[in-house]
Amino acid sequence: MKRRTFLAGATAWGLGLVSRPGRTADDLGYSAPPRFTRPETSGEEGGLWALMDREERNLRRSPLIVRDGDLQSYVQDIACRLGSDHCPDIRVTLVRTPLFNASMAPNGMMQVWTGLLLRVENEAQLAAVLGHEIGHYLQKHSVERLRDIKSKSAIGQVFGLFGLAGAVGQLAVAASAYAYGRQHETEADRIGAQLMHRAGYQVGEAAKIWSNLLAESQAAEGKGANGSLLFATHPAPPERRAMLEDIARSLPDGVTGEEAFGRHVQRYLDEWLNDEIKRGQYAESLVLTTRHIARKFALETMHYHRGEIYRLRGRDGDLDLALGDYRNAIENDKPYPLALRGIGLIQRQRGQRKEAIEMLSRYLELAPAAPDALFIQSYIAELNS
Amino acid sequence: MRGLLLAVLALSVFGCASVKKVESGTNRLGERFTISIEGAWNQLDFPGVKPAQVWTMEGVTVDEFLIFNGIRDGEVMNSKSGNGKQQDFVFRKSMPTEEIVSLFEGVLSRDNAVFKLIKIEPYPFGGKKGFRFEYERIRKTDNVQLRGVGFGAVDGGDLFALLYHAPRLTFFPRHQARVEAIAATAVIR
Amino acid sequence: MNTLTETRASVCSLLRLTALVTALSLSSIAFAAASLNLAPGFSSLEKGATVVIMPPDVELFSISGGGVSEPKADWTETATGYIINELRRKSDVLGMKNVALSEKDADDLAEINTLHAAVAQSIALHHFQGGNFSLPTKGGQLDWSLGEAVGPIHQTSGADYALFVWIRDSYASAERKAAMVALAMLGVGIPGGFQVGYASLVNLHTGQILWFNRLIRGTGDLRTATDAAETVQELLSQFPRSQ
Ligand SMILES: [Zn+2]
Repeated sequence: MKRRTFLAGATAWGLGLVSRPGRTADDLGYSAPPRFTRPETSGEEGGLWALMDREERNLRRSPLIVRDGDLQSYVQDIACRLGSDHCPDIRVTLVRTPLFNASMAPNGMMQVWTGLLLRVENEAQLAAVLGHEIGHYLQKHSVERLRDIKSKSAIGQVFGLFGLAGAVGQLAVAASAYAYGRQHETEADRIGAQLMHRAGYQVGEAAKIWSNLLAESQAAEGKGANGSLLFATHPAPPERRAMLEDIARSLPDGVTGEEAFGRHVQRYLDEWLNDEIKRGQYAESLVLTTRHIARKFALETMHYHRGEIYRLRGRDGDLDLALGDYRNAIENDKPYPLALRGIGLIQRQRGQRKEAIEMLSRYLELAPAAPDALFIQSYIAELNS
Repeated sequence: MRGLLLAVLALSVFGCASVKKVESGTNRLGERFTISIEGAWNQLDFPGVKPAQVWTMEGVTVDEFLIFNGIRDGEVMNSKSGNGKQQDFVFRKSMPTEEIVSLFEGVLSRDNAVFKLIKIEPYPFGGKKGFRFEYERIRKTDNVQLRGVGFGAVDGGDLFALLYHAPRLTFFPRHQARVEAIAATAVIR
Repeated sequence: MNTLTETRASVCSLLRLTALVTALSLSSIAFAAASLNLAPGFSSLEKGATVVIMPPDVELFSISGGGVSEPKADWTETATGYIINELRRKSDVLGMKNVALSEKDADDLAEINTLHAAVAQSIALHHFQGGNFSLPTKGGQLDWSLGEAVGPIHQTSGADYALFVWIRDSYASAERKAAMVALAMLGVGIPGGFQVGYASLVNLHTGQILWFNRLIRGTGDLRTATDAAETVQELLSQFPRSQ
């Protein structure tokens, strides 16, 4: 019954984790329950499993799933190492939705949205979120929530906890109204930190996620931290970050896995950034791309897309900011083709014929099979005549 | 879905809307815009679809042939639907082709559909210098995956365009050739 | 654009509630004619024809006091089971040989099921509802085909025909019912729960929709096996017995 002890201690911990007696630095004292077996369908928990089986089937059949085996198995593998004994029960699905969210249902279905993958900076940060969700799973928080919701006679809303990408707008509303309680969040954070630590990750990265997200949502004009869709099920009060920093001090060392993470997401960045920009939340998107630029991650890609954000926002001076970013994206020996195009198109509009021809020609040299190749050729011909 | 049904029932009883036959032959869409069609189409004469005309072969939930007949500088391209908080997409006569295509992308993603541009190329449309583009969409409301093709040109500051999209399975391949043929007959005066 | 539905809803929103009541009372009379259900040239299946029952697309909702509908996944899960059982039983009675799909097959064929739902809605509107909504080019006939998209269903199942079912059902909560009664006394009708269903029989060699039926009614329930069976019976009531 170690688990019970852990639960009992959880609330007190928020105040004085480090001074808690009898704990070594690498041991928060959590031991996971044994693997779960499928409950009777007739019971309360069984009903929830059946319901989630159905959601999982719908999700599997959705065209919005990232069906790439490499990335899926990479994330699956991280979840697996975090879940250790529970690994065989965890099934990760990547959903193409530009919001920050992950969830895990009691039947083992775990959803990770691409908006989250676009925002975390390394394996450790991803592990922090996955570990947190596994924490909810191990402690059966969703079952407790089900009871709670039932007592409010709104059980149908439970789908909002895990919901489908298909109903994103609605989902975010439902999810924030039915987010886990603060106590569950704290407990999941603690377990997540512990699992991270055991899997060899630097626990300090967990707090950084919330700092980064807060910066994004504070940039969103006229909205509070939770006005942004970014925090679907997980509100992020400042004390949460403080607590995570606190835990990290007692669980030192570990790796961040920045290089490996970057390598795995690299080829999706364009698609995810396109989805991100289409949300039309330019202030948030600017903070996001600026952050990645500051850490020198996928520099050309980030510069190009930040340029796109400026161009689309189109305030006074934005076109020049866009040009600046496009230029940054073509500086090194591996210029970003779409940035050449972006510069060329602006120059064409400004009547700088010679420069436009040069930029657009370089674009076509690098991307001869681009969707707009024929169209750009016609521009070049026109500029030449 | 309930919304659709209720609305449809209401409209049918009170005659708020109707479907008209578009006969085979030359069709004058406006003072300056004409197309010729071989075989009839159905025009969905519903309130609120403007500024586009909407035609269909298979039904409103399957395929849409959108006709933009001389959109003026400063005119909103999308229909006045949604919750009123969504962005409107406004045509400017100074827009270069790539921005007009982005405008269509915006109009077609207004229901949160996933949109992907597959191709854009020059195309003489209606006797003017114009463009042609192909695209994919995933409708988030029902997960239907669509393919589409569009044609357009700006003349005298007005935008003329034809767009057609239908499920990528069966329906787009079935009607694409007809749509391409219609685009080839367009005349802008 | 797919924004038409919302537009229409707003334009005539004031009228729609009354319209619903009227339409529901008309529906049973207006759609009795059998020809409405059959494609030109089709009268019945041959005896023992193999028919694959596609995974039914079902969703149950509850309508709260305020009129907001809320998906009820647990009800849906149970109802789907009842519907599949009854579809199997009914297809036996009608003289078909039914084939089931594995979960994996159903995953692979999901896009076609999605396509059917879109087409079925157009048939329901433009053919069954008809009137102002009839598509002139269809000439009043049940003339829709899913085309070559159904090929993979034949290859996977070996069946010659497929039966697709799509149902949405909603139920008023107790407080909603109370509101209905209260408003009815003031002479205002507001909808309680109601049931919409589509069923299609599709030729897997051509994709043609041979038979189609639609259900719209203020009654019916899918939450118990008996009531779900009644719904399926009703949905397949015009289905021709195999000859
Ligand atoms: Zn949580």
